Amino acid sequence: MSKLKKYVEESKNTKSPDLEIIDRGVSNLSDNPAFFELSHVTRLTLTHNKLTTIPAAITNLYNLEILNCFNNHIKELPQTISSLAKLKIINVGMNKLSALPRGFGAFPVLEVLDVTYNNLNENSLPANFFHLDSLRALYLGDNDFETIPPEIGKLKNLQILVLRENDLVAIPKEIGELQRLRELHIQGNRLTVLPPEIGNLDLVGSRQAFRGENNPWVTPIADQYQVGVSHVFDYIRTETYKFLYGRHMAADAPPPPKTADKSKKISRLG
Amino acid sequence: MSLTTTPRPPNPMRLQSLSERNESGLFQRRRLHANEPEGQNNTQVPDQLLAGIREMGPQPDINAGASVPGFPLTNGIGSDMSMGIGVCRRCGEGFGQHQQIVNSNGEVWHPQCFVCAQCFQPFPEGIFYEFEGRKYCEHDFHVLFAPCCGKCGEFVVGRVIKALNNSWHPDCFRCQLCAGPLADSGFVKNAGRALCRDCNAKEKARGLGKYVCHKCHSIIEEGHIKYKGEAFHPYHFNCNSCSIELNADAREVNGELYCLRCHDKMGIPICGACRRPIEERVVHALGKAWHVEHFVCAKCEKPFFGTRHYEKKGLAYCEIHYHQLFGNICFTCNSVISGDVFHAFNKAWHVNHFACSICDRKMSQKTKFFEFDLKPVCKFCYDKFPGELKKRLKKAYDEQNKK
Ligand SMILES: [Zn+2]
Ligand SMILES: [Zn+2]
Ligand SMILES: [Zn+2]
Ligand SMILES: [Zn+2]
Ligand SMILES: [Zn+2]
Ligand SMILES: [Zn+2]
Ligand SMILES: [Zn+2]
Ligand SMILES: [Zn+2]
Repeated sequence: MSKLKKYVEESKNTKSPDLEIIDRGVSNLSDNPAFFELSHVTRLTLTHNKLTTIPAAITNLYNLEILNCFNNHIKELPQTISSLAKLKIINVGMNKLSALPRGFGAFPVLEVLDVTYNNLNENSLPANFFHLDSLRALYLGDNDFETIPPEIGKLKNLQILVLRENDLVAIPKEIGELQRLRELHIQGNRLTVLPPEIGNLDLVGSRQAFRGENNPWVTPIADQYQVGVSHVFDYIRTETYKFLYGRHMAADAPPPPKTADKSKKISRLG
Repeated sequence: MSLTTTPRPPNPMRLQSLSERNESGLFQRRRLHANEPEGQNNTQVPDQLLAGIREMGPQPDINAGASVPGFPLTNGIGSDMSMGIGVCRRCGEGFGQHQQIVNSNGEVWHPQCFVCAQCFQPFPEGIFYEFEGRKYCEHDFHVLFAPCCGKCGEFVVGRVIKALNNSWHPDCFRCQLCAGPLADSGFVKNAGRALCRDCNAKEKARGLGKYVCHKCHSIIEEGHIKYKGEAFHPYHFNCNSCSIELNADAREVNGELYCLRCHDKMGIPICGACRRPIEERVVHALGKAWHVEHFVCAKCEKPFFGTRHYEKKGLAYCEIHYHQLFGNICFTCNSVISGDVFHAFNKAWHVNHFACSICDRKMSQKTKFFEFDLKPVCKFCYDKFPGELKKRLKKAYDEQNKK
């Protein structure tokens, strides 16, 4: 508690827009009401602490543009959080979240959402999640998604989408509507095919990235991937592939089993 | 007979006159049904003829024995008429002493013989129509002689407009574009439609990609101005301020027209793209003013509509094309980097915005950092990652570098 007090006093005096409390073992913010009077703060970094929750009073810091709580023990975010009207970047990666609160999609200017390494899946997202059309980067790596809702296509400004090491059995064709996408990370899932619509995207080039390794791809995709990402894209744009994809979907084979052992993830512990 | 509008170069229009019809349906019927042409004036204009017929009926109620003032026919039923009255016009029999006699225009009938020439029924309420010596009930007269209106489908009794191979009530015959009445003003046939002169001129101009002057109704060959939503020859107007005759550069401001010089002096912003005044929302950018919908990306030409744009060498770009062409938008603050750029993982940063993505602490070129989902992670933070994650990251890194 006294640890936090020192930072609060200092921030009050300096009026610095940045407040960094990193790796200080802080477990509770509500102990210190003065903390929520620091409304001049625009960046709050609480990385590597022991917070189990973010209090609803966080909204008193209404000038926040960046909120970083990576590597804490947060199980829940307050419903009020989406009323932080200036928040552009929120990083709650490496916590114990199994859901995002109702109304989370109401952030008006959120650009980067990082929830890497939590316990989220397709049922963890609130109904308005895909209203976040100001998002340019969405980090969902190291979670438990098996599917991605087709509404993903509404995130028109998305440039970066990370779905690394989930349990995905399919990618919705609506990803092909994300005209601005230039990074797609889908490595380490249970994917066998790609929807041909992904061929609409430009993910090959020095400013783009496509990561698809460690998936049980059908042989032709696996073969193309061996030679290079551009070959995968050339291939999925062919009529041959569209035909094979149609047949594959019609066959409706059961998805490959889960192979990743997630029991050691620290988001699971405690 | 043909109507022409006042000739107006360069496109004098010839109007089709209403009376200039080929052959009317009525005229045909009349010939078909006419037993005795009797030297009638067959060239008579059909609608006039029909109007004349109508004037014969409806006849007054025969039982009333009255007559219409000014109408030469006399109809009546008399009893105890003299024996010398003659025979029934229909059956040729004489009349008994106490029999009723129908008397119409000097001819007599038994009441049961005074019936419609078509349905042989007595005339309802005594109303009949006479045509070519035969008398018809109202229903059959309509069926036999009155044409149907091409618009409303009702019988046309009285003045009929014959046009476009159809018959019309005068009030139903209207311009198919503006619905203005055509019965008295004449019409122009345009692609199978009857149009008024104005609409026809507009249609013709539209086909040529031109406007029709709202004042003089002729096609504007070059350089129109818009005034209160209509197109005009500029020379019909003078500048509201300096009175000079206007040309196509004239501008409308609050319902008044000004020449370009006077307009510019009034300080109304002119769009940098279309050179027209901006009456609504103005976008100020690149040292110019723009219509919202004319301020577009120099590459894809899509309007920004208030979304962020990026400027370079006097041109504006959308984010995606700016990034594609010049590539230096800071990943952290999402704005254009004008000074030194730090590049890593397909991304760019302001040098002072390059920081660990986990702890936000600033990093320099010399700082050692790791990659995590194509984001930079400082050594301190990487070391704090759980072992199982580090193991996975190392495996992925090794696989990547095997290639
Ligand atoms: Zn009619
Ligand atoms: Zn008209
Ligand atoms: Zn004119
Ligand atoms: Zn003037
Ligand atoms: Zn314009
Ligand atoms: Zn563009
Ligand atoms: Zn920056
Ligand atoms: Zn760090």
